[in-house]
Amino acid sequence: MNTATSAAAVLSGVKRFVGGQELEQHRQALIDRTDPNAPRILVCCGTGCKAVGSLDLLETMQNSVAASGAAIKVMPEVKRTGCHGFCSRGPLLTLQPEGLFYQRVKPEDAEEIVKQTVIGGELVKRLLYKPQGAKESIAKVGDIPFFAKQTKLVLKRVGRIDPFDINDSLVHGAYKALNKVLNEMSPDQVIEEIKNSKLRGRGGAGFPTGLKWESCSRQPGRHYVICNGDEGDPGAFMDASVMEGDPHAVLEGMAIAAYAMGSDRGFLYVRMEYPLAVQTLTRAIRQAEELGLIGDNILGTGFKFKVSVSTGAGAFVCGESSALMSSLEGKVGRPRPKYIRSTEKGFRDSPSNLNNVETYANVPEIILRGGAWYTGYGTERSAGTKVFSLTGNVHNVGLVEVPMGTSLREIVYGIGGGIPNKKELKAVQTGGPSGGCIPIPKKFLDINVGFGKLAEIGSMMGSGGMIVMDENICMVEVSRYFINFLVEESCGQCTPCREGLTRMKDILTRLTLGEGREGDVELLEEIGKFTNSFSLCGLGTSAANPVLSTIKYFREEYDAHIRDKKCPAGVCKPLYYYEIDPEKCTGCGLCRAKCPAKAVAGEKKKPHTIDQELCIKCMECYKNCKFDSIKIM
Amino acid sequence: MKIILDGKEVTAEAGRTILEVARQNGVDIPTLCHVPALEPAAMCRLCTVELIENRRARMVTACNYPLRGDAEVRTDTPFLRQGRKLIIELLYSRCPDSTVLKELAARYGAELGRFPEDNKDCVMCGLCARVCERVGGNVLALCGRGVEIRVDTSFGRTARHCIGCGACARICPVNKIQIGDEGAERTVIIYGKEASRIPLRPCTSCGKPFGPVIDLSLIMERAGETKVPAFNLSVCPACSRRNHARRLAERHFEQYEIEPRETGEDD
Ligand SMILES: Cc1cc2nc3c(=O)[nH]c(=O)nc-3n(C[C@H](O)[C@H](O)[C@H](O)COP(=O)(O)O)c2cc1C
Ligand code: SF4
Ligand code: FES
Repeated sequence: MNTATSAAAVLSGVKRFVGGQELEQHRQALIDRTDPNAPRILVCCGTGCKAVGSLDLLETMQNSVAASGAAIKVMPEVKRTGCHGFCSRGPLLTLQPEGLFYQRVKPEDAEEIVKQTVIGGELVKRLLYKPQGAKESIAKVGDIPFFAKQTKLVLKRVGRIDPFDINDSLVHGAYKALNKVLNEMSPDQVIEEIKNSKLRGRGGAGFPTGLKWESCSRQPGRHYVICNGDEGDPGAFMDASVMEGDPHAVLEGMAIAAYAMGSDRGFLYVRMEYPLAVQTLTRAIRQAEELGLIGDNILGTGFKFKVSVSTGAGAFVCGESSALMSSLEGKVGRPRPKYIRSTEKGFRDSPSNLNNVETYANVPEIILRGGAWYTGYGTERSAGTKVFSLTGNVHNVGLVEVPMGTSLREIVYGIGGGIPNKKELKAVQTGGPSGGCIPIPKKFLDINVGFGKLAEIGSMMGSGGMIVMDENICMVEVSRYFINFLVEESCGQCTPCREGLTRMKDILTRLTLGEGREGDVELLEEIGKFTNSFSLCGLGTSAANPVLSTIKYFREEYDAHIRDKKCPAGVCKPLYYYEIDPEKCTGCGLCRAKCPAKAVAGEKKKPHTIDQELCIKCMECYKNCKFDSIKIM
Repeated sequence: MKIILDGKEVTAEAGRTILEVARQNGVDIPTLCHVPALEPAAMCRLCTVELIENRRARMVTACNYPLRGDAEVRTDTPFLRQGRKLIIELLYSRCPDSTVLKELAARYGAELGRFPEDNKDCVMCGLCARVCERVGGNVLALCGRGVEIRVDTSFGRTARHCIGCGACARICPVNKIQIGDEGAERTVIIYGKEASRIPLRPCTSCGKPFGPVIDLSLIMERAGETKVPAFNLSVCPACSRRNHARRLAERHFEQYEIEPRETGEDD
């Protein structure tokens, strides 16, 4: 069934809602029409799964279902959804109402799924998820630790609804909170509720959202409500998945904010590299406008709120609030030097409230269930949940939502499934490019992830990036990588950031090439200390964090690079070589076969050797050896 | 408003910047990217000071921080001196022959040459672009992405709407903008590259080119004026002076009915 036509069919009978009651009646009619036990095939079409061909899967699935129509008792609805979160296993597919979970599904599998599962009621074993090292596969979503250990508040509809169909969102409760706010609450009550929830901004700084709304609402003049969907951190995609998977949650949150602050105009600033998010949001705005949920005279209450999507050209610094406002005004996206809050003078010098995507997406549920309910999740100082994008050397790469205060151990091992290839966990990097590296074996595996705790140990929450690093990650190279990113993304207007970071990059590059000198670490620390306190915007004042935190916790690795000209992790090519341990080598010949440079020699069943002249340090032998006999020297 | 400036209590008008208050009280905070006539851009960060407001201490730039309530300001702590020293050293490598930076270096004990020179011939204070926007033809801007930021014209083309006022060359703290008249044209050269080239109008009296042909409408628009005033500079300053003197003399002779004596050709 084509979801677009089904939406059109239902919508054709509905004009604009002129009151809250009409909305609820329509919602009820939709719910009555949908049988919760009807079969449904949810195909994940988030950006990750799309990249590995889920749109083809969606199409073949629709065709296969249609082709076997006669044989199927109850026709399942094949639904296109946002990200399910388990991106490393894509394309993903869930069958409702049983909650069966198939992973790495190819278009060729569609017919078999229809025949065997939809018609025959049997599992396709090969497509089930099997945790690393386990003997048995797991069939149901609810039994998979990756999903079972999460708490989904923000992502509750993401992956379950069709983001292109407003009716599907309505069935799942969208705009209930807006209706409540417009008909039952005063703007001040809304702000009070948000304050009670202790919701803190999810964009990085963790500023209390209620306070921000309050101070903005008290300013005279026209107010603007702006959503920060710039998400420039490399590897982060939590905001993308919310915008792509549940656009109405963001719109509803913004509309509620607008009501609370007396605003009639909103903007969603989305990076251009998120075409799917731009598409879902634009469509969502149009559908909501048609129903009178956004735009003029919302739900017949006279409240007016117009929203539009504005695209940014993918500059990291445009996520910074004043740079974002400049960019939105059509100017160069550079942070403004003014010491004035955007809530006072932001977009077009008017009071503007800027929040992150996830912050707004939290709002509707807080309104419906109350601030006190929200504080039931998380910790005293950091309430609610946080979505992390878990990446790096961990089995289960994807999006995870957990209550604030969850331990790193739970996230990395419980949900992430641990470190592949029997490696040791070395560090966890949080907070995006200007976050810090948290050393694990030494102390911090059991710290509770919250705003305060992360800052205390020299990292930060940031927008929720979490990169897991095993023993083969070189901390000097990690620093160089992030500083290099920031040098490229700095706006270049202020001296410490522009010149300081460039110098730090030069020094770090030298270190990774084996050209380090005594005093380099001290110089890095000196530059880092002053860029962190003399820079103009948040980019510069946090840029040195990756360097400072790795120096603090992994100083010996810097020293090894400088004094011994060694890279203990085996990453910086000029600083290590591979050697085969003759005691351990069984002469199986696998490395010899794998080596692309023909640098490995040896007779069968006798210890092999590596010709250092020929070796290109591609790591093939190291990765493939089953006997752990290749050593990094 | 009670302001404690380097330990001494001073008075200040609300809304004044830290820099203004400091200067009024004889405290010298170093600046590089600031002139009082232009909106501060706070780019060099040299004027960073420590501010304690509501018992919260933080670093702010003095040139653009408006004091709005009681506060304590420290302008010369060891930490600030070290930070300024580093900034001077970093900037010096961009522009190693600058007198201003050498003076600042002496004041803060900066080790010049600590970082390898990469002669960019510019300390990126942004003053030229700001003054051009404010008083000139709005020709120069900070262009380029990120650390490659530079002063340039739109799309790097030779600008024609320059008014040749020379404010950029005048304001540059490191004297790296050249402005010169050659034949009937005036050029502005930045980083050795021609930024603008505009024709000079000939003097209606002596015929020599002397001043830029200016599109006044641009300036009027910026000033919010609709009527372009009669701005008819058609005579070069030398001729203008001479003509004026001649008129004065003629009137003088007329008054006393004296016949002027014939003189030779001018100049
Ligand atoms: C360099 C820089 C980049 C930023 N990028 C983002 C971003 O991509 N998304 C975001 O929501 N906030 C970003 N922020 C934080 C925003 O400036 C701002 O604090 C946030 O959007 C406010 O929303 P919140 O209160 O909901 O967190 C960035 C900040 C800095 C300094
Ligand atoms: S700190 Fe960096 S990004 Fe921020 S204003 Fe300065 S140069 Fe630009
Ligand atoms: S003078 Fe204040 S930042 Fe340059």
